[in-house]
Amino acid sequence: MSDATASPPATGRSADGPGRSARLTRGIGAQIRSFVRTPLNLLLLVALPVVVVEGYGIAMEAFPHLPGIQTESLVAMGRVNGAIYAVAFFAGVLGLFQVISARQADRRLGLCGYSRLELFGTRLLTVIVGCLVITAASLAVLARTTTITAPLSAFAGLALAAVIYGAIGMLVGAVLPRALEGSLVIVFLVDFDDFLSSGMLNIDTAVLSAFPLHFPHRMVRDAVFEGAVATGDAAGAVAYALVALLIAALIYARVTAGGVGQ
Amino acid sequence: MSSLARVRETLAMGLREYARTPVLVGLLVVLPAYFVGVFVLIAPDTTVPLTIDGTRTTATLIAIYGALLVPTVGALIGGIAGLFVTLSATEADRRLTIAGLDPVELLAARFSLVAAAGALGVAVATGVLAVTVVPADPAAFVLAGVLCAVIYGLLGTLAGLVVGRLAGVYLMLLAPMMDIVFFQNPMVEDAHWVASVLPGRFVADLAIDAAIGGSIALDPLGPAILECGAIGVLAAFAYYGRITA
Repeated sequence: MSDATASPPATGRSADGPGRSARLTRGIGAQIRSFVRTPLNLLLLVALPVVVVEGYGIAMEAFPHLPGIQTESLVAMGRVNGAIYAVAFFAGVLGLFQVISARQADRRLGLCGYSRLELFGTRLLTVIVGCLVITAASLAVLARTTTITAPLSAFAGLALAAVIYGAIGMLVGAVLPRALEGSLVIVFLVDFDDFLSSGMLNIDTAVLSAFPLHFPHRMVRDAVFEGAVATGDAAGAVAYALVALLIAALIYARVTAGGVGQ
Repeated sequence: MSSLARVRETLAMGLREYARTPVLVGLLVVLPAYFVGVFVLIAPDTTVPLTIDGTRTTATLIAIYGALLVPTVGALIGGIAGLFVTLSATEADRRLTIAGLDPVELLAARFSLVAAAGALGVAVATGVLAVTVVPADPAAFVLAGVLCAVIYGLLGTLAGLVVGRLAGVYLMLLAPMMDIVFFQNPMVEDAHWVASVLPGRFVADLAIDAAIGGSIALDPLGPAILECGAIGVLAAFAYYGRITA
């Protein structure tokens, strides 16, 4: 690789073509255009939060108040859980299919000179954009029916839940690059994690903090009902997100070593 | 070759394909074991009231959720398998139809494959649950789980054909948990009307009856089989239309 490519000029172009930032932007743009080109994807972005948030609220309407559940309104708690579930499973599946569908294309892009870091960065940033959009949509749906005492903190908690599962989805996609196997893993992980972390069962064990949605659930519940988020929960969620992203990056780099997608 | 032999051969080919992907078979064993095993390990052993056949009684949370999680496992596996098995087989089945194979035979083989994946998941989940809570009627309980896997497998097929892969995965991820664990939960005394129109209604009743009630009433079993047949006809028409188009 030439020096000009290694240190792209400020214009974002090198003698060999566009610079790293331009290539990243172009890659993300292409991914987003590919997503937006399917109208059903856009419909899902709008419909999923509504169905999940309201569906959870309705499901909890007639639920008995089990001992140990600390909430005044089970419906509101159901909606909050629905919002977290919506962002987590949307991001998980998005991350999974980003990696699975990108392997062929990435192999060719690798031959064209894209580095593994750039390719992972493109996929990751696309997933993060998706995470932020679904987080905003879910929060908006939740805010229609539920008073959110600390909206920014709630947004942060939901976004962290989405990023954690976006990274897990990418990780699963890198390890299990077939749609059937990858989807099975994501489906079981998200459903079970959300079920146990939601606070509906009053589970008292340290094992629970190992579940990806444990801290985001606590963050969002506190942000919505209490108006303040415990530092430990926020730190736990951020740490989980960073570790998940790091592991996803390492595994992605490993499975694409010696030729992207191989 | 007779019709039955052709179905058997197509099914055997599908099963051989499963066997050639040990990761998939491993996941069909590990994921249900993880799902039910971790739950029974950490769930509180609280006794709560519930309604079975209109009668209020009590049971532990582990028994109640264990009875709901096993059919949920079947539904999750069936739904995802139904979605991908049929989507991935569509092109091959179209060629086989042109080559003279009866579409109905192909449908029977594909759906049997989905049912087999669901049955394996349900069997593993029931085995893991039985370490802590043995269902009162294990055979009926497994039947409920397999029926649930088939119903959601057919729905997964329909979802894949109608809304496509990505939206289908979202549907099959969301629907089983909300339907069976939340809407069909027997702890709810006065269920929302939505619960009565969801596909897990009868099979969840069947699973609760078999796990906790210890009996299997014809009331949920008959409608569950009818429901399975009705969704099967819809899925068959959709798949038939796709492979003969």
